[in-house]
Amino acid sequence: MKHVFVFDADKCCACSACMMGCMDQNDIDLAAGEQCYRKTFDNEIELADGGVYCAYLSTACMHCTDAPCIDACPVGCLKKDPETGFTIYDNTNCIGCKSCAMACPFGAPRYRESDGKMVKCDGCNTRVKNGLQPACVRACTFGALTCVTEEEYRASGSDKACSALLDSLHLRRK
Amino acid sequence: MNKIAIIGFGGAGFCAAEEARRRDPKAVIDVYSDTDLGPYNPMLTTYYVKGAIPYDAMFPYGSLEEIREKLNLNIYTNRPVTGLDPANRTLRFADGSQAGYDNILISTGASAVAPPIPGMDLPGVLKMRTVKDAQELKQRLDSGAVKSGLVIGSSWVGIKVVEDLAVRDIPCTLIDGAPWMFYVAAFEESARRIQADLQHKGVSLSFNQMLERIEREDDGRLTAVTKSGDRFTADLIAVCIGVRTNTAFLKDSGVAMNRGVVVDKTMATNYPGVYAAGDCCEALDIQSGTHRNIGVWFNAQKQGRVAGANMTGGRMEFDANVLVNLAHYLDYDFISIGDVSACGPEDAVYEYEDARYYIRGVRNGGGVKCLNVIGSAESNGLLKNIFIKSIESPAAGIDIRSVCYLKDKGFPDSFIDFLGGKSVD
Repeated sequence: MKHVFVFDADKCCACSACMMGCMDQNDIDLAAGEQCYRKTFDNEIELADGGVYCAYLSTACMHCTDAPCIDACPVGCLKKDPETGFTIYDNTNCIGCKSCAMACPFGAPRYRESDGKMVKCDGCNTRVKNGLQPACVRACTFGALTCVTEEEYRASGSDKACSALLDSLHLRRK
Repeated sequence: MNKIAIIGFGGAGFCAAEEARRRDPKAVIDVYSDTDLGPYNPMLTTYYVKGAIPYDAMFPYGSLEEIREKLNLNIYTNRPVTGLDPANRTLRFADGSQAGYDNILISTGASAVAPPIPGMDLPGVLKMRTVKDAQELKQRLDSGAVKSGLVIGSSWVGIKVVEDLAVRDIPCTLIDGAPWMFYVAAFEESARRIQADLQHKGVSLSFNQMLERIEREDDGRLTAVTKSGDRFTADLIAVCIGVRTNTAFLKDSGVAMNRGVVVDKTMATNYPGVYAAGDCCEALDIQSGTHRNIGVWFNAQKQGRVAGANMTGGRMEFDANVLVNLAHYLDYDFISIGDVSACGPEDAVYEYEDARYYIRGVRNGGGVKCLNVIGSAESNGLLKNIFIKSIESPAAGIDIRSVCYLKDKGFPDSFIDFLGGKSVD
């Protein structure tokens, strides 16, 4: 059953609990220069009309339907999990060429300094396959981040906004 | 029953076969290859030489046998196609035989260019493109006999051969006929910084050096002599001056050609049922509005999938094609997005430098024309996407998420403004 992450910006205050959940789950060692797969933002952005938008965001891999990073990887490290729909990876042969970062319009791939290999959010694939929520979702006490099945997502009507985003970024398989 | 021929079996050919099979389980798919190797990525050859990957990893789709079984293909190895009658969709072979198809994909790739000069056939003078090239270079370097190397051509492959030598602590010289590094993609100001970094890492550089001949010295070493009269001597010479599309067999066929086979967004040529994809083709570049050969692995795979879909009754398009060059070597990252040759004195220039980044961008009223950034590897996809959007919707600006990302990555507000967004945080 394919899953999607849903982010409700109106409920996010950029508290970074999602990042804590991610770092704990994935044993991310910040002191060694590693980066969390999820990132929160707290910015004031001046808009074209002169107004100011207070942005509270939580972002990670978007697990695109037609993920460009998969085609970009020269050694075939990335693929889709047919069960969950998440973009997963095996970086055994990763050469650290950063072609996946070049393809990703969201800046999701990270590079581990210790071995130069790519790492990224895999949607907590193993957790989800075993009926658990992704660690970031579980840590979000405001309900800004959720992870639902495709069917639940379509039933909620939220897919229309996401579809527009994917079309604008040319990420939809035609 | 749909009968499909795929000429050439690299990334584009494989992805076309995979997509065609996914959409049409009954199609007959014949693959013609001029080697007996499985599809491999030429970009990986220098990584194999470096020792970053084992031999098998150069073949990301598996062996020919595995592919044949998985996709139910008829694969004809060492059987190059020598001619094409596109009106009748017929292939010709060296033995005079012919074969007709409903759909044909030309995915023959490109080959390393060898300049027509004396000495190119001397032992120790190598090109770098194929698995065979990689095996020869690796064998020579692993033998320990190479005490110095000369790389001719500051191309995207040339710089990786420099890395192959540098990681083995083999003294290396890089020369090029152009005035500076990465001439087709880098502004002079960017190139100066790239060159300074290379020299700091012990690589000798010389530019405006047009190769005239290669000679063998009495002691067995090789000397490249340039038109200026300068002589560069080393144990091994790698000639990496560029590639040429493998399209000679299409001469006089009627298929529209420039440097490569001209295709539309569906990867169709000027003949119905005849498609082209990958390094041998010229797809539409959205920045210039003209056809351009942009030979990168990502394009090859996407174009192959589009062709595979359209050869089996689907309707897919390859879009958002822009010039992008990425160099990652010796812990250094350089990206160029857009056409540096399209920039002129009338354009607005943005420049920024700190300990982390060097940025040089050019734009006019219509949008960003070219971006050079050093040190931005993790952000390159975002920058490329912003660049594409600036072409498609010049007045749209940057979305809020991207502004937040750029700020978090330490890009200055002035750069965000240059790209079309604003921040007051």
